[in-house]
Amino acid sequence: MANLRDAANVDICHMTETPVTVSELTYAIKGLLEEGIGDVMVSGEISNFKHHSSGHRYFTLKDADAQIGAVMWRSRTLTFRPEDGMRVVVRGKLSVYAIQGKYQIDCSAMRPEGLGDLHMAFERLKEALRARGYFDESRKRPLPRRPRSVGIVTSATGAALQDMLSTINTRFPLLDVVFRPTLVQGDGASEDIAKAIRDLDRAGLDVIIIGRGGGSMEDLWCFNTEVVADAIFTSNTPIISAVGHETDFTISDFVADRRAETPTAAAVIVTPITSHDLLLAIEEMRLEIVRTISLRVMDLLEFANGFVDGRAARRITERVLLRQQRIDELTTRFTRSILHRLAITTQRVDHIVALNTSLHPLAPLKKGYAVVERNGHVLTGTDRLSKGDIVRLRRLTEVSTVVIQNTDPASTPKEHHG
Amino acid sequence: MAKKAEEPSLEQSLKRLEEISTLLDRGELSIDEQLKIYEEGMVLSQQCREYLEQAELKVRRLSGEDNESE
Repeated sequence: MANLRDAANVDICHMTETPVTVSELTYAIKGLLEEGIGDVMVSGEISNFKHHSSGHRYFTLKDADAQIGAVMWRSRTLTFRPEDGMRVVVRGKLSVYAIQGKYQIDCSAMRPEGLGDLHMAFERLKEALRARGYFDESRKRPLPRRPRSVGIVTSATGAALQDMLSTINTRFPLLDVVFRPTLVQGDGASEDIAKAIRDLDRAGLDVIIIGRGGGSMEDLWCFNTEVVADAIFTSNTPIISAVGHETDFTISDFVADRRAETPTAAAVIVTPITSHDLLLAIEEMRLEIVRTISLRVMDLLEFANGFVDGRAARRITERVLLRQQRIDELTTRFTRSILHRLAITTQRVDHIVALNTSLHPLAPLKKGYAVVERNGHVLTGTDRLSKGDIVRLRRLTEVSTVVIQNTDPASTPKEHHG
Repeated sequence: MAKKAEEPSLEQSLKRLEEISTLLDRGELSIDEQLKIYEEGMVLSQQCREYLEQAELKVRRLSGEDNESE
């Protein structure tokens, strides 16, 4: 290595009789450039930007007449997303990549040209608004647990709108959506957004989303203005700010009641309970109702078994048990396809219930009627009683033993009065 | 968009379904009353389901007056 480093000192500008090696020449150049020029700050336009999978970034800086290679290692942080055609200012060291015989700028920092002022303005406004309490957690309103209506402030033509609408349509299309188109970049965009927020605030909606898709800091700038911050701050309706990508932060994100990482994420936030959730809940309630009513029928049948001929009742009980088993099976799988079959089962249970209510003796007992038994047999309407007969009077809650004192023909012969 | 009074909202229907489920479960009603609300529950759940399954997103557009985005 020593002899190579010495090569920098070789007077290579003068031809000598002894040839130098490529390495010697390259290291001479490396020495000249890295020590002779060293640290640089360069402005230019990015072209050929490649964010390699290793995390390192390779690109070319150029202007009208010249270009120079540049590299920015993974370990260097970037606060924006470089793109071809973007004008930037880089800081770094000039270095020579001997293996390829290339010289390039090893960048330690890069910022969009002209955005230095914007960054400053952003920080100034952020501090001013923070001091005024615009970002206080205490003034942030919770979003409604289940919004019924949402206002959307964004561009009519951007992908953000389509993303939000399709997300809402998939999750909960019953949400009442009011869209107020606005400019989302350039002159007048801030004022338009602020006005849109006030318009929607008057509409009495549950929540408002303001946002747009990703872009450069300049593109997103209209969400970094005081007029938008004021509109959010004074809105009575809770506001979700969904500007750009996960990594973009704007003033509106800080003032809003909630920040969403993307417009799609905002659409998810305003549809916390989906149609699918509700369908499941309804199905659960429906099955619960069916189960309860069939259990009730079984109770009644069991009770009835004590009074009427056991065989007929048992047959009915078996049928109900079969249905019950079927319902149990169904309960374990909440799928759409079972709904039709369930409807049929339900109808059958329903039918059996109706059939048995008319047969079983509980209902009359509840109303105060009694069953009269003599020698262990239930008396029918036409059985006769005479003085001295001992009968058992079975009522809903007790059974009494009664001695008949007197019997007269009744005016309505079919009814026994307890 | 205001819902007519005679047509219960999904919200009300769901609430009623829940009520029915609880009422039936408590078992304090006569079998006649139980059957009646059972019937009501079946109809309601069917209505809610159809309502949810057939729902389509409707978007109202509030004009931005003089400045529409291009």
